[in-house]
Formats: sequence, structure tokens, C-alpha cells
Amino acid sequence: MKKTVDVSLPIGPVHPVFKEPARIKCETMGERVLSAEVELGYVKKGIEKIMRGRPWQEDMFLAERICGICSVIHNMVFIETIEKACDLALAPRAAYLRVIVNELDRMQSHILANYSYCYTIEHETLAMYLLNTRETVMDQLELLTGARVTCAYIIPGGVRFDLRPADAEKLEAGIMKVESDIRRFMGMFENGRMIALRSKEVGILTPEEARIAHAVGPTARASGVRLDERLNHATYKLLNFEPVLRDECDNYARVMVRFQEVLQSIGLIRKCLDEMPAGLIRSGGEVGAGSFSWKGEAPRGELTYDLKTDEFGRIVDIAIMTPSIMNIEACGHYMLKGIDSAADITSTFISSDPCIACNER
Amino acid sequence: MAMSIIQKLKNKVRQRSIHVSYVNVGSCNGCDIEILACLSPRYDLEQYGIYVHNNPREADILLITGALCEQWDDKLVSIWEKIPEPKAAITIGNCPVSGCVFNRRGSYVNPPVSKHIPIAASIPGCPPRPSEIVSTILSLAPEVFKDFEEKGKEKKR
Repeated sequence: MKKTVDVSLPIGPVHPVFKEPARIKCETMGERVLSAEVELGYVKKGIEKIMRGRPWQEDMFLAERICGICSVIHNMVFIETIEKACDLALAPRAAYLRVIVNELDRMQSHILANYSYCYTIEHETLAMYLLNTRETVMDQLELLTGARVTCAYIIPGGVRFDLRPADAEKLEAGIMKVESDIRRFMGMFENGRMIALRSKEVGILTPEEARIAHAVGPTARASGVRLDERLNHATYKLLNFEPVLRDECDNYARVMVRFQEVLQSIGLIRKCLDEMPAGLIRSGGEVGAGSFSWKGEAPRGELTYDLKTDEFGRIVDIAIMTPSIMNIEACGHYMLKGIDSAADITSTFISSDPCIACNER
Repeated sequence: MAMSIIQKLKNKVRQRSIHVSYVNVGSCNGCDIEILACLSPRYDLEQYGIYVHNNPREADILLITGALCEQWDDKLVSIWEKIPEPKAAITIGNCPVSGCVFNRRGSYVNPPVSKHIPIAASIPGCPPRPSEIVSTILSLAPEVFKDFEEKGKEKKR
């Protein structure tokens, strides 16, 4: 039998579809991918190293700048870990405001991820629609926090700014527009025949493989694994949160999970606005000595902070585990293997929503 | 004189045909997504003739984000050399200028980017707004590319 020439196909580190530098090395036969390896290490800044020995006031901003796409969740989990380590009380109104900002951040991150996917499969119309919708979400984020990306909204014991009734009305009008847009685009994605050809049954990650690779976030939930750190969060428990699960296990499912989670986030924000108690947005207290390990659900999956503070409120030791590393490994080991076309390599990689900056810090 | 007519034509055309490539040399993604936001129909880069290629060989302008990690010391120069003349580099955010919050003892960043390649303009901010990025590209490109061929001739003489 005539043997097809095996080609080692490198993609990246600078590649048109990647927002960040990463390199995928694929062993291919013809166009079929036999094995793949994801090579990282292009944006290592050593954030954990420079965090040690600095006061929390400084580390708060460093934590936020671990990732520019999901900066709110890094801020939130870092502050929550400090609160739990030092037994600081949280103002009840602030707990709801945190959820609102966190869900807005999740919405913009999911819409950006779906934009990237649509752009990668060359469906530019849908991609541009989604990117425009994201701007509406960013406006709401700016309305609440005063900044688009790095907002530093969450502080120990509460949040920085209150939501005025006039702003709450604007927020409600904004998310109503986003909801109608996303429902339309979700329908376009769901029923698009060409999209289905590129997405359905491509990049399969079975539930067993997802468990072995410890995939997290939408990547795991698209394979039917019930894994969501919001289930363990006190405020989300009050809101009766239930994760979105799908069982198709392919690229299509991962994108659809994100679409459904955007709609779910809109529901959560509405519920928060209804149930939010009046009162102060900050409670007192001082950051002292303590240590704690706490998890939160980032747009990409579970995010762990493990830190130790001293009596002056300095961070003595800190370890961070971000979700993307598990998803990238799941992608490299299981999803990319057996793909029939080289064109699907990048779209499959993007469908797992990798965040390289988070990963390497 | 014939040259100058062509030159005038080129000046005119280059104002409305700017191909952009961007490279992340150790940013937190914040600036990268603000560049992406420029693509959205609200800001609409393409109405000004700016096209984001992300391929250095077709680019006129290189946008740089990030505080320059060790891995990029040699790679950034090789990307810069791949861009055909006339070309210009714009840094986005505080990181390429000063390293922003990452420029502390013990970190792996090595700013500024201007140590490695010539920088035509810098947009400070953490991150800058998309409108600032668009206006910088639009105001810089015609200045840099104006009379490029005639300037080159004078240099040769």
C-alpha cells in the first residue's frame, strides 16, 4: 500500500485566528490529524512571583491583570479568598452587585468566544453581529463599574459603586436588547446548515475523556459533565442556579452551551435586580493574617486561588490555578486527535475557548 | 515630475488602505480584545480602509501589545523584518512602554519594546479605548507613508 507522506504541521505562534501566541504541533497523515501537542510559554510574566510579599491593595490589581477577558472573576475570587481567610463580612447588597458584574463579564467573554469560533469557521456575518452585541454588554459593564476591561470593582467587604435606580433601568433595557439579539443569532447558529457541516461531530470529547483530562467549564458541560463552581457559591445558591448541560460533545455543543449560558446570565441578572436588598454596599473590617483556598467559576471553568496573608495584609504565599490549562490539554489530547481536515484544527482549538494569558500568567 | 504624480496617487491611496497586523508579546489580553472590539460594526475599522490581516508579510502597520517576555526578544525583530516597506509600529497600552504593573523585580518581562524595534507611536492606557486605537492608526499612517518613494530617492543621492 502506498503510504501518504506524514507531515508535521505547526500552527502558530503568530497565526491569524489566534488572539494570543500559542503553537499547535500536529502530526498529520494527508489531512487527518494523528496526534497534536499544544506548546505554550510565549507570554509568561511571572505574576504569582511578583505577587508575593506585596500588600493586597497592590495584588488586587495584579490579580485582575492576569486575564484581560475575564478580569472580573479574577478580582472576585481573589477578594473572596481574602474575605474568607480573614473572616470579613460581606454587605448583602454587594453580594448581588458582584453577581451582576460577574454575569455581565461572563456574557461578554462567552460572546467573544463565540465570535472567535464563527470567525474561525469563516462565518464573518454572524461573527460581526456577535461582536456588536458584545459592545452593548461592555456598555452595561462600563455603566456599573466605570471601566470596560479592568474595572477593579470588587473590594474586601463589598463593591466600589452602588447601582442607582436610573442606572438599573438602563441596565435592564440593555440586557433586554442583548437577549433579543442573542436569541436571533442563536437561531442562526442552530439552524445554519453550513455551520453544522463545520461544527457537528467535529472535535469530539466524550464524557469519559472529559473526566480523565479534567475538562472544566463549558467544555466539560458540553460533554454532559455536571461541573460548575457556581453551585457552591452562597449567592448563586440563593438564586437557584442550575448549570446548562448538553450531550453532543462536539464543537457545536460547546458553542451552544455558551449561547445558552449568556441567556442564563441574563436571567440571573434580572433575578438579582428583583431580589437585591437595599442597604450599604460595603461593610467594615481589616485584612489580617489567615490562609484559605477558594474556587470560583470563571467563564472558562473553575478558577482556584490559594493564598496566605500576614497580619499587615500582605500576601505571603499565593497559588493560582486557571481553567484554560485543563481545557487546552483536553483539546490537545482528545479533541484534535482524529480530525479529518486541517481546517478544523484551529476551529476546534478555539471552540475550547483557550486563554493563554490566564494560563501562563 | 511624472514621479510626483504617481507619488500623489500613492499618498492618496495609502490613506485609505492600511493593513494591520497585531502581535501579543506578553500582554494580559486586555489590549488585544480592545483591538478586536475595533473590528466590531460600532467602531468599524474597515470603513476607514483599515484591514486587520494578522499576517506580517501583508501588513503596513504592526500593533504591539504586552510587556515583552523573554521568548519574544528575537522573535519580535524577525516579525518586524518580515513586514515590507513602508511600515510603522504602534504600541498599545502601558505595557510596551513601561511594563505597567508587571515591571517588578523578579518578573520575566523586559520593557520597553522600543529597545528592539523602532516605535512610531504609543497609545498609553490600561487598556486604551477602541476609539483611541482607531484615531491613532488613522492619524499616524498618512504621516509615515507620505512621499515614501521620493524620500527614499533623496536618501540614495
